[in-house]
Amino acid sequence: MVALVIALALFFDFTNGFHDTANAMATPIATGAIKPKTAVALAAVLNLVGAFLSTEVAKTISGGLIREGSDGIHITPDIIFAGLMGAVLWNMITWLKGLPSSSSHALFGGLIGAAVVGIGFHSINFETVLQKVILPALFAPLIAGLVAYICTRLAYALTSRHDPETGDKLTQKRGGFRTGQIFTSSLVALAHGTNDAQKTMGIITLVLIAGGTQAPGSGPQFWVIAACAFAIAIGTYAGGWRIIRTMGSGLTEVKPAQGFSAETSTASAILASSHLGFALSTTQVASGSVIGSGLGRKGTSVRWGTAGKIALGWLFTLPASAIVGALTALLVSIGVVGVIIAAVVGTSAVLFMFVVSRKSHVGHHNAVEVEEAGHAVRFRKKKKSRKTTPSEDVQR
Amino acid sequence: MKWLELLQVGGVTLVAAVTLVVLYSLGVRLTAIAGDAQQKSPVLVRSLAYVCFAFCAAAVLFGIYLIVPYFGK
Repeated sequence: MVALVIALALFFDFTNGFHDTANAMATPIATGAIKPKTAVALAAVLNLVGAFLSTEVAKTISGGLIREGSDGIHITPDIIFAGLMGAVLWNMITWLKGLPSSSSHALFGGLIGAAVVGIGFHSINFETVLQKVILPALFAPLIAGLVAYICTRLAYALTSRHDPETGDKLTQKRGGFRTGQIFTSSLVALAHGTNDAQKTMGIITLVLIAGGTQAPGSGPQFWVIAACAFAIAIGTYAGGWRIIRTMGSGLTEVKPAQGFSAETSTASAILASSHLGFALSTTQVASGSVIGSGLGRKGTSVRWGTAGKIALGWLFTLPASAIVGALTALLVSIGVVGVIIAAVVGTSAVLFMFVVSRKSHVGHHNAVEVEEAGHAVRFRKKKKSRKTTPSEDVQR
Repeated sequence: MKWLELLQVGGVTLVAAVTLVVLYSLGVRLTAIAGDAQQKSPVLVRSLAYVCFAFCAAAVLFGIYLIVPYFGK
């Protein structure tokens, strides 16, 4: 059971990685600051580094969501297994739909659902749920969006230049923001590595402690850190192209100055929140930033339909993964047979979604519209011939 | 409820992001000015631009310093 949970936890880490590549890398890819493949490679390396950098794990991954200890309620590997199943399946579904949704919320949802079925309603600390999940979900996009809006406005105001006499536009060199984007998006990727890989490490450690193979209260062992770091890095490299597409061009058209503002806001919000104790979801912050930066530039329209779909996805994240978690917990409570059924059903569901995804392939070649890429190429090499062949786009 | 913390996070985010963006934008603007044909002292303006970028880089490094708990102790 312990081994099964660890395997599932690592797979969750993998899905987390490829689900969240978009947060850091969608905007630089959209503006052509970094080539798609280079971008995901960079994000993967930074995630890896980030996961190793911060070994100080938030030990209570459930963070008080589930009442532990005094009442004699213990989280068993069974419940963690069920919770992870919920989180993984929801991550896969949202990936298939190309929706950026919070992996942490999926995890919380799964664990809550599993705990309700496995232990009972009294095991859930609803006040903490409200405080840690629902309120941040409302405020993360608001804060990030507002900041990104202000930043975009500032960036454009500061760089706009007109000839005082003729009123003609002077050169603005806004392409310079592309270089900046490389650094800001790297910062987002690094922050993601230090945050999200920790969750899986915490879970595996929790299971090891519950299984009695590790002393209670001790930190994660080295192999756990290494395994998680690699799982999230591989996941990032695999690249959630579908979500990158949504974030990079589905919400609004992204120009370098906008992308720079959005990423700066995202990075600041994540860093500020994780260091001041009001945890915000990386995904929600990033989506909010992109929308905010879209509103900030004149002549850009935000596709509210897509934004609404994303918001709806967030609304469903918690309950949906809770339901899957609860169902899995029911199965697991039957006994060994239930565990096997759950594992088989889970694996086949993942495989099924993977097969479905193949039908409408979204890869690095068509994640963001070629028109944008062509623009980038022209911009960079000034007067050289454009070499973006339209044939790349045919497969879409 | 942690309204104070929420406010704090929002405030810090705003200050940090605005600082970075303003610095970088100034840098971009200064490089554009330095590129103008009739500019008399392009070297001075360009080096000012680099100062802006340098401050920006320092701010980012400070951010990294913050997220790595190893330095935090």
